[in-house]
Amino acid sequence: MNRRKLLGGLLAGASVPTLAACSGGVTSLKGDGSGGEGGGSSAGGLVIGTANFTENQLLGYLYAEALRGAGVKTSVRPNLGSREIVIPALRQGDIDLLPEYQGNLLLHFDDKAPQTQAGDLQNALTVALPTGLEALSYAAAEDKDVFCVTRETADKYGLRSFTDLKKQNGKLVFGGPAEDKNRVVGLVGLKNRYGVTFKEFKALDASGPLVKGALKKGDVDVANLFSTDPDIEANGWVILADPKALIPAQHIVPVIRSAKADTKVRKALAKLGVALTTHELARLNKLVDKDKKDPDEVAANWAADHGLTKK
Amino acid sequence: MIELLQNLGRWLTSGAQWSGPDGIATRLLEHLQYSLLATLVAAFIALPVGLLIGHTGRGAFLAINLSGFGRALPTVGLVTLVFLASGLSMWPVYVSLVALAVPVIVTNTYAGMAAVDPEVRDAARGQGMRRHQVLLQVEIPLALPLIMTGLRLACTQVVATATIAAYVSFGGLGRYVFDGLAQRDLVQVLGGAVLVAILAIALDLALASVQRLLFRHRPRPSRAA
Repeated sequence: MNRRKLLGGLLAGASVPTLAACSGGVTSLKGDGSGGEGGGSSAGGLVIGTANFTENQLLGYLYAEALRGAGVKTSVRPNLGSREIVIPALRQGDIDLLPEYQGNLLLHFDDKAPQTQAGDLQNALTVALPTGLEALSYAAAEDKDVFCVTRETADKYGLRSFTDLKKQNGKLVFGGPAEDKNRVVGLVGLKNRYGVTFKEFKALDASGPLVKGALKKGDVDVANLFSTDPDIEANGWVILADPKALIPAQHIVPVIRSAKADTKVRKALAKLGVALTTHELARLNKLVDKDKKDPDEVAANWAADHGLTKK
Repeated sequence: MIELLQNLGRWLTSGAQWSGPDGIATRLLEHLQYSLLATLVAAFIALPVGLLIGHTGRGAFLAINLSGFGRALPTVGLVTLVFLASGLSMWPVYVSLVALAVPVIVTNTYAGMAAVDPEVRDAARGQGMRRHQVLLQVEIPLALPLIMTGLRLACTQVVATATIAAYVSFGGLGRYVFDGLAQRDLVQVLGGAVLVAILAIALDLALASVQRLLFRHRPRPSRAA
């Protein structure tokens, strides 16, 4: 859910713990002789790491289920930390597989990358990822920044896309996290690419209770939320279209150590990616965040329901 | 580290940084306004309560425990709660700042009143002073040092916490802290934090001088003893 947290941690200090101290489980798994095709071998089992927020943990468990269904042994290390921690852990081989987000992952390796569309991002990732790591097929599901309005606001001003916002220049109030004021995926991009200006900017939180409360009450007209936020659908909020692809795509993409990526793993994760839509991911987020279900159980049930594992 | 401090020094002293609607001067005034208003409102609520329970000796248990409860309230949680109830306004900020300041003032005022020697109180009554005279001419003057300490403590805490106004999109020095964190601009974060600290110390020193002025006719405790 809180994808942006992955970018944080810079101010929190530069210490990057190696995870060697907490190795367990997987080392005892013996190879079964299969594998070797597709570049690597999953025979020794995979360690799946996840970042420190709900959605990423859910994805980690979903990967585990999909791989289990394909007969690959896995263990999950949830909640490791921000991208500044999980990527080095992956490079060092402390973990083998990580659920990631296209746009932000690319920016982690190339902060000037201009790509915003899913296909371009995937190609750019193949180039940008360090040797030994690769991005597998991306999922239908996407957790990206979306700019939303309420149904009433959409009808009142005839708002369907960012282009429509221009006709209301200087009238609407925009709410989002503080960084939206000065970055391209925010007010700067809306102004430069779409010529949109707002009456006021309210610095609130990132798809959290403040900005959603303010949108609901009409204190802000346009709110920056995340596409897998279940409240968007629950409230019937309208996601404004982005015809000029200002906001980078953030499809869920598995990043794996090439040494572990064989055909079995590639196919299992691709199959998961086909079944997992943004709507489904939002629903799963809600089960964990709002209904307080355990993420591993939610993942196991979903995988069984979608034929990824046997019931 | 040295470079960071140099950048911080430049940030704090650049003329451009001080002017304009996002400038330090504006933010400082906003911060001062939030802090002083919240402390004043808190004092209006807390002083009568503290004086009353100190003077009568009744309700102390309840008031002190309620104060303890009030101190344990997480301010950000309270801001979010009031925000969700009241919408986007200054209410969440003021409610939580006042809630932060009231317990400190109540407990210190009560403690000051409770520390007044009962014999002094009896003597005043024995000389024929009425209840309100005892309160105004004996108890309050004797309790004043602790009451002032409560006000100073409350003021310092409120100044330090008024940064949360920025959490709900308003101004004040917290703007630099929140925006700096969002933009990963460490100099801005530090600049905001340093300014908050300076403001808190300056206000505390100002209140200390007020306190000294109030007591300039009174013998020092060492000589009085």
